[in-house]
Amino acid sequence: MRTDWLIALPILIPLLACALSAALWGRARAQRVVTFVAAAALLLASAALVAATLEHGVIASQMGDWPAPFGITLVSDLLAAAMVAITALMYAATAVYAQAEDVERREAEGWHPLLAALVFGVCGAFLTGDLFNLYVWFEVMLIAAFGMLVLGGGREQLDAGVKYAVLNLLATTVFLIGVGMLYGLTGTLNLADLARRVPEVGNDGAVGAVAFLLLAGFGAKAAVFPLFFWLPAAYHTAAAPVAAIFAAMLTKVGVYAIIRVFSLVFVGSSEWIPWVLGGVAAATMVTGVLGAAAHWDIRRILSFHIISQIGYMLVGIAIATPLALAGAVLYIVHHIVVKANLFLVAGAMRRTGGSFALAHLGGLWRRDPWLGILFAVPALSLAGLPPLSGFWGKLVVIQSGLEGGAAWLAAVALAVSLLTLYSMLKIWMEAFWKEPPAGEAPPDLGGTTRLLMLGPVVALALVTLTIGLWTEPFAALALAAGEQLAGREAYIAAVLGGGAP
Amino acid sequence: MLFPTLLVFAALLAVPVIALAVRRWPALAPASALLPAALFVLALLTPPEGPATAPWIPSLNVAFAWHADGLARLFVLLITGIGAGIFLYASAYLHGHPQLHRFMAVLCLFMASMLGAVLADDLLLLFIFWEMTSLASFMLIGFEAERASARKSAQQGLLVTVGGGLALLAGILLLGSAAGTFRISAILAQGEAVAQHALGPWIMVLVAIGAFAKSAQWPQHMWLPNAMAAPTPVSAYLHSATMVKLGVYLLARLNPAFQLEPLWQAMLIGIGAMTMVTGAVLALRETDLKLVLAWSTVVALGTLVALIGVEDPRAATAVIVVLLVHALYKACLFMVAGILDHETGTRDATRLRGLQRLMPMTGIAAALGALSMAGLPPFVGFVAKEMLYEVKLDVPGLLPLVAMLVNAAMVVVAGVVAARPFLGPLAPTPRKPHDPPLSMLAAPLALAGLGILFGIAPWLIAEGLVEPAAAAILGRPTEAKLVLWHGFTIVLFLSVATLGLGLALYLAWSRVQPALASIRVLDEVGPNALYTRWLGAVQAVSAWQTALIQSGSMRRYVAISFAIIFGGAAAALLAGGGLAWPGLAPAPGAHQAALVALVAIGAVAACVARALVAQVMAVGIVGFGIGILFLSLGAADLAFTQFTVEVIAIVLLVAVLARLPFRAPDARTPRARRWDAALAVGVGVIGAAVMLAVLAEPFDARIPEWMGAAAVPEAKGRNIVNVILVDFRALDTLGEIAVIAIAAMAAAVLFRRVKGGRA
Amino acid sequence: MEALLALLFGVLLGVAVWLMLARSLPRVVLGLLMLGNAANLAILASGRVLGTVPPLIERGASAVAPGAANPLPQALVLTAIVIAFGLMAYILVLTWAAYSAYGTTDAEALREAEPPGLPAPSPEAAAAAEPAPEGAEARDDLRRAA
Repeated sequence: MRTDWLIALPILIPLLACALSAALWGRARAQRVVTFVAAAALLLASAALVAATLEHGVIASQMGDWPAPFGITLVSDLLAAAMVAITALMYAATAVYAQAEDVERREAEGWHPLLAALVFGVCGAFLTGDLFNLYVWFEVMLIAAFGMLVLGGGREQLDAGVKYAVLNLLATTVFLIGVGMLYGLTGTLNLADLARRVPEVGNDGAVGAVAFLLLAGFGAKAAVFPLFFWLPAAYHTAAAPVAAIFAAMLTKVGVYAIIRVFSLVFVGSSEWIPWVLGGVAAATMVTGVLGAAAHWDIRRILSFHIISQIGYMLVGIAIATPLALAGAVLYIVHHIVVKANLFLVAGAMRRTGGSFALAHLGGLWRRDPWLGILFAVPALSLAGLPPLSGFWGKLVVIQSGLEGGAAWLAAVALAVSLLTLYSMLKIWMEAFWKEPPAGEAPPDLGGTTRLLMLGPVVALALVTLTIGLWTEPFAALALAAGEQLAGREAYIAAVLGGGAP
Repeated sequence: MLFPTLLVFAALLAVPVIALAVRRWPALAPASALLPAALFVLALLTPPEGPATAPWIPSLNVAFAWHADGLARLFVLLITGIGAGIFLYASAYLHGHPQLHRFMAVLCLFMASMLGAVLADDLLLLFIFWEMTSLASFMLIGFEAERASARKSAQQGLLVTVGGGLALLAGILLLGSAAGTFRISAILAQGEAVAQHALGPWIMVLVAIGAFAKSAQWPQHMWLPNAMAAPTPVSAYLHSATMVKLGVYLLARLNPAFQLEPLWQAMLIGIGAMTMVTGAVLALRETDLKLVLAWSTVVALGTLVALIGVEDPRAATAVIVVLLVHALYKACLFMVAGILDHETGTRDATRLRGLQRLMPMTGIAAALGALSMAGLPPFVGFVAKEMLYEVKLDVPGLLPLVAMLVNAAMVVVAGVVAARPFLGPLAPTPRKPHDPPLSMLAAPLALAGLGILFGIAPWLIAEGLVEPAAAAILGRPTEAKLVLWHGFTIVLFLSVATLGLGLALYLAWSRVQPALASIRVLDEVGPNALYTRWLGAVQAVSAWQTALIQSGSMRRYVAISFAIIFGGAAAALLAGGGLAWPGLAPAPGAHQAALVALVAIGAVAACVARALVAQVMAVGIVGFGIGILFLSLGAADLAFTQFTVEVIAIVLLVAVLARLPFRAPDARTPRARRWDAALAVGVGVIGAAVMLAVLAEPFDARIPEWMGAAAVPEAKGRNIVNVILVDFRALDTLGEIAVIAIAAMAAAVLFRRVKGGRA
Repeated sequence: MEALLALLFGVLLGVAVWLMLARSLPRVVLGLLMLGNAANLAILASGRVLGTVPPLIERGASAVAPGAANPLPQALVLTAIVIAFGLMAYILVLTWAAYSAYGTTDAEALREAEPPGLPAPSPEAAAAAEPAPEGAEARDDLRRAA
């Protein structure tokens, strides 16, 4: 069956890349070839997967041909396929960008296998249809992230690493406990099967408690209020390409897990779920953006923005109408591109201006207007200004809030977008407009470094503009994904077949 | 369809062209004025046309829907016509500036956005261009970004207009869901239906907030005078034909749907009148020519908004005439102020006197513009003011009186800007004054000339421009009677009285101005002060909450995480009435009970022990105890894995601990220990309660049953746990191996780093 | 039996919390170990005590003997144990690296990434509060690199 391979490829390609580049330890050139080939292959494979999913609807593949729910099923619906495709894009972008600066040192510390391992875990998490298997992918991502966070050798990275490791391990272990308990309640681990079994469990309280444990485990990974401590404690210490791929993918896997499990398994199982999700969404948006408003270091500002934007995605999940879920999907896709790009631009700004601290920057608009434009595109998109990608994401989320009886969430989302703009303006005014600080500035960004740094940035900015201006295919895909998520039957039928086993 | 599309996209495409061409050949900058000029001619030659649509984002109901009716066309003519003058003027004003190419390009982007906004028939399309004007004006206001005041003003302008824009967006979305469409023409075709909808009041308020922010209505007006930080050509453009008129445009555009609603009328008239008064008072306090003019713009905008709120065909006509007149004279006077600044080195009204002989042409432009502004015949300003009075006399309340006082203030402004600098004895200025080159004079002279032309021959604009535009505001055709001379009516009497009052005030200006300026409270209570305080509060609150949440203390992070996770789980368990007891069946064997007790004791010992070594040993006991427990529960493979892992873990632990200060005590304070103990006990109890509730449910064992049945015939394995690991759930094992391999790799790298002393 | 396992789970969980709240990092690591043990116990207990015989199929038989334990949780726990061990090993090395960098294992003293002066009211104050101020030195580095 062709689709079986299509679903497995996004897991196999990075696995192979990881193994190969680990085997080629110390031979940087060969490792680079492996990474670039793998990224290109993953892009192709994910494009094929998206096409297949568009054509066939939800596709499922039983690993080892063991029928669900007894073996592990890989499932690709539109959301999963889109996430895999965007992961491939991020893989390629960070791989190229990483070549620009400080590359020998990172490569000597295992950059290539670690990056591939991270992508391996991320793709696995998106495609699995099994709750325990999802836990395994979480841990693959986690260990790769541990290794990547401390790449480059900054002193503050170790402090960040300890907090990151302890808090994340706490969260995944809670998730694991939740998985065990849910198995205890239903006797199954297959998500589609769980969707059928959970409503049959007699003890609502037990289901609710387990749902909360899972929500907390995923929520901590997604960096929602009040479990996001690890993110602002760590992300600003990572090297620019590492921070970019972290910012793009890791929290989104948590959001993905929340969407997947709470739109499939715990639908209507507890009355509090939409309220808690809505409250968490609002608090996450507000506390995140206030954190960004409080800081004066580009990376710290950007880190807090990740949190704030996660809140927007949760709004979609809290409302949970097809339109709202579509909004969440559109928002995630947009956000991944924009957020990664901002971290990449931040790296280029540091290279040009000499610092991440706004106090030490200035005059970049005069010096390098292209850099300014390349910052402005993702920054304004993040703030949701039209006609960039963020506007459409925000629009659909807010529209679903107004129509789905959650006007207060829509109002919070609107207010937060003004504060987002405020904090982006801070960067613009200080780094680009203000007079440059006294003293000799670093050399202009030129030559190959410029190409390697700004190439991926331009590519991602073009994606942002494409989503903003040629919105129809993305909007249509998001709406279809929202329909798929809200109408769970397609997913369940694809995994379990027509009748129950 | 072709016309609007061509207009907007030609302007958009010109942006990069201008940027690159002017950068390469700065001398070409004046030629950029040909673009708006050509668009102006095109608009003049194209008759009004109805809405037309091309698809854009059908999934989201957004289309490239355009209209070029009378109202849109009037705006297009203003934007491109005055734009042509501004482009020419700007290229001379900023002649030789190293950033000229960027300035011209952003100016062009600004024009394109304005054109898009007034030509859009789709509310979301309009909103997109609406926000783009905010962004472009941000770049223009902050053009001289080295000055902190320019940066701050640009930020304020953007935050206020985008903030209003968010309200507008909410209003548009509600309007869309109430009307079932975002197409303006379709919404207006529904008549009063939208206003009667349950969401009607919300829609009106939200749309009005957005429009008020853009059009600098009280209390959102503060950004406009601060926007004077922009180079003068920008001010001239922003204040006359663009930006601030956009809010007025939107109110006028949607007026047919809401014009009968008392809420709509009250909002527009009330806020408009408040704005008029505020602007008039503040205009008289200033001596900076640009600021004086800026406040007079606020007055004009208030007038326009209030007029839209008056439900009367004559009011609609008056809106259009006032709009047109104001655009002409305001652009002219701003450019004059810019010339004075440029040529004399100051724009302080108290320092500029007697320039008539040195700058005669500038003086003529100033006089013509000012007379129109003051509303003297035969200027078109007179026509506008007469209409204004006619309408306002019919409105009960204070409005006529307000209008008269405010117009008197406008007479003063006209005098201060256009008469005072040119009359009297010559005063010394920083630079030696002389008339500027023709490229700077052409636009103000032309605009002033139009002011007198339209005054003498109002029929030139009545039928072609004013009537169709006024019809769009009313939602039905109307006839515009524009005449210069109405005969001796009460309106004329009012005009004369206004003029007299204005002249008296003007003569007393040198005493009135300082007196008003010395009223400090006006600076301290206004919305501008409020904005500053609000910004400070945002910064303070955000710093406070961030320090509170993100304390930097890992202990606190861990504690909060556990408290939230298990507190929430407890709440969910209790809310669902989930407490349950599974019973002791199957009864534990004595050895099993003993093992459980052993593990529990080991665990508690790990807490109670103070020495790290003892704690490690206790944890080891727990690990081995669990292993034996596994064995007793029929999990042999598991037990052996547990033993192996436990041994390696302890060895590793000891190896690493040997390098750490393992004698260091657990330095928690007694108070902290009490809190921690309470949390630990709480979490343990909740965890056990949830686990008990889970185990009390009946168990569905079909998966192990299937596995037991399938292991031998299908998977060819006799150890089912093994079969699961290598076959049924091989993907888990793949991930597990990956984790171990990556962990080993990452740990080795870190290990080398520490060994290499690079940590 | 199952109720006993649930209670033991609670005990292990509480002990894990207590240890993870300690100020000294080695104890936090012990807490994580304990938390892993608690999770493993939770999974095993969730599969119920269906029997205490190892789930093996005797030669000649085609199905498990009655009274066999549930094999699935065993397999899951096996995977989880190994994974947890990998992560634990890395965190141990990380702790050691942190100690050699900062000379302390006190979790409360780890304030390099989030220094006490932040967030600060102004860009200058914020830059001054960073432990490794970017600025002049970083600029020199970049110039040298280029």
